[in-house]
Amino acid sequence: MLALIGGLLLYPIGQTFYYSFTTWDGITSQWIGPSTYTTLFRSPEFVRVLENNAMIVLAIPVAILIPLAVALLINSHLHGWRLFRSVYFLPTAVSWVVIGFVAVRFFANDGILQNLLNSIGLGFLHPDMLAHERSALLAVMITFVWSMFGTNLIIFLAGLATIDQDIYDAAKMDGAGALSVIFRITIPLLKRFIQFTFVITLITAFTALFSLIFVMTGGGPGFGTTTLEFFIYQNGFAQSYFGLGATAGVVLFVIVFAISMVQLRLLRTDD
Amino acid sequence: MSSLAADRSHTIRRWRRRLTRGLIYLALLVTTVVMLYPFWYMADNAFRSLEQYQLQSGFSLASWRELFNTLPVGRQLVNSTILVTGSIALILVASTTAGYALGVLRYRFSSLVFLLVISSMMVPMQSIIIPEYVNLAQLGFVNHFYGAILVYAALGAPFSTFLMTAYFRRLPEDVIEAALMDGLGFGRIFLQIMLPLAVPAIVTIVVLQFIQIWDDLLVGLLFLQTPDVRPITVGLATIPSQHLLNVPVLMAGSLVSAAPAIIVYLIFQRYLIAGLTTGVGK
Repeated sequence: MLALIGGLLLYPIGQTFYYSFTTWDGITSQWIGPSTYTTLFRSPEFVRVLENNAMIVLAIPVAILIPLAVALLINSHLHGWRLFRSVYFLPTAVSWVVIGFVAVRFFANDGILQNLLNSIGLGFLHPDMLAHERSALLAVMITFVWSMFGTNLIIFLAGLATIDQDIYDAAKMDGAGALSVIFRITIPLLKRFIQFTFVITLITAFTALFSLIFVMTGGGPGFGTTTLEFFIYQNGFAQSYFGLGATAGVVLFVIVFAISMVQLRLLRTDD
Repeated sequence: MSSLAADRSHTIRRWRRRLTRGLIYLALLVTTVVMLYPFWYMADNAFRSLEQYQLQSGFSLASWRELFNTLPVGRQLVNSTILVTGSIALILVASTTAGYALGVLRYRFSSLVFLLVISSMMVPMQSIIIPEYVNLAQLGFVNHFYGAILVYAALGAPFSTFLMTAYFRRLPEDVIEAALMDGLGFGRIFLQIMLPLAVPAIVTIVVLQFIQIWDDLLVGLLFLQTPDVRPITVGLATIPSQHLLNVPVLMAGSLVSAAPAIIVYLIFQRYLIAGLTTGVGK
């Protein structure tokens, strides 16, 4: 167990730190020092990569609010709510590779989106989203929100199940309307669940979009959809700049580690 | 207030409630369409030839034949199965024993070890993938199942151990004490009492890891580079580029690679949900 984690997780992260200060092609490495970091942060491509990640982070509130709203709707105990839950959760079982292939058909120039626009008379817009840098990133963000919907919904439903029905009854007796119950009672009680979805959505945004980008855009057009994790792959494996990839790997590690620390902090203060 | 007015306000309230209910259903139905349409699209277009796809009429198995000529589908499904089975077996051995040691036996240093496990959960795969690749390439592990299995197991073990430890800690202590009184050793207690009790947690780990590993791209892409050893998801993602414009073939491939994970999901949904919500605590 420790050998597995030590040899295949902890030792390589140490290597990543070491090689981040070198130029390395997988066989020979040459020590450069901390200047590898300044070089990296000064390169316009890398700045663009960080910008792309920041843009994707902007999609996170949407990826949380939509499932939160739907969870509140489902929670009003309608007939068939279990069926809705199963259906909404289904994409969680499907690979980002498959999701990506369908997403390409949706956003492509002759794809589903264009057909939809044609049928409502807006066909002249020709968004052709995957062909332009900004709109391609938006397409990736939309697909990301779609894929996170089920996971976050399940977490909110689990959270709603922990709330005692008596609290609602008491509020109703006091004459509180449906909306004020939601904003004054339900959402404050869901606070830690909202924090939890925020953290896992954030970590997913930084570490799990590789397959989606690989299939949908290949990081392009230009550097339009290259995120940090995709940048590491491209430098390491498409171009054999292993040292540069390691430097970017450390940046990613630091970001994810910081997010996880915040998460541990949150969990601890709640206990 | 006259009874007539009371009656009227009652009727209005009833209609308003019906209207809200109707609107909620409408919203949920729209969401259903958005979530299910991609699956419908796959199924609808996988059974067309390229020409039938362009015309959007008629069905045939032509694209399936082409898919099987392009990718070694059967071989790659077997590869995926070998990888998933091997990795999960390794993860289970590591996480149940470690969980037992950390959660029940509590040796010296066990809190330090637990901290190590937790912190290795925070290591993103992309940060270590380059040295990992170089190390395993030097050992000659690339393009062999056992290389990829080791990587999947290392990535899956920390969370699984965390889950097992938490589960074992929640079991009542008198179970173990009673067994000790009966003269059972810690090894037998583990095999005969703890493991059977841990079945729900074990199923959760199996389902989570099955879906994770079956759906993975990056590890397979790097550590299994020839089509013969590739799992199906990787095979589909790296389909020769002349087929990328052949939508029906792509959809047939998507369908066949997604099906096993969907089936597992439909059978074991409950455990998957349990696993995903573990982190929040109760």
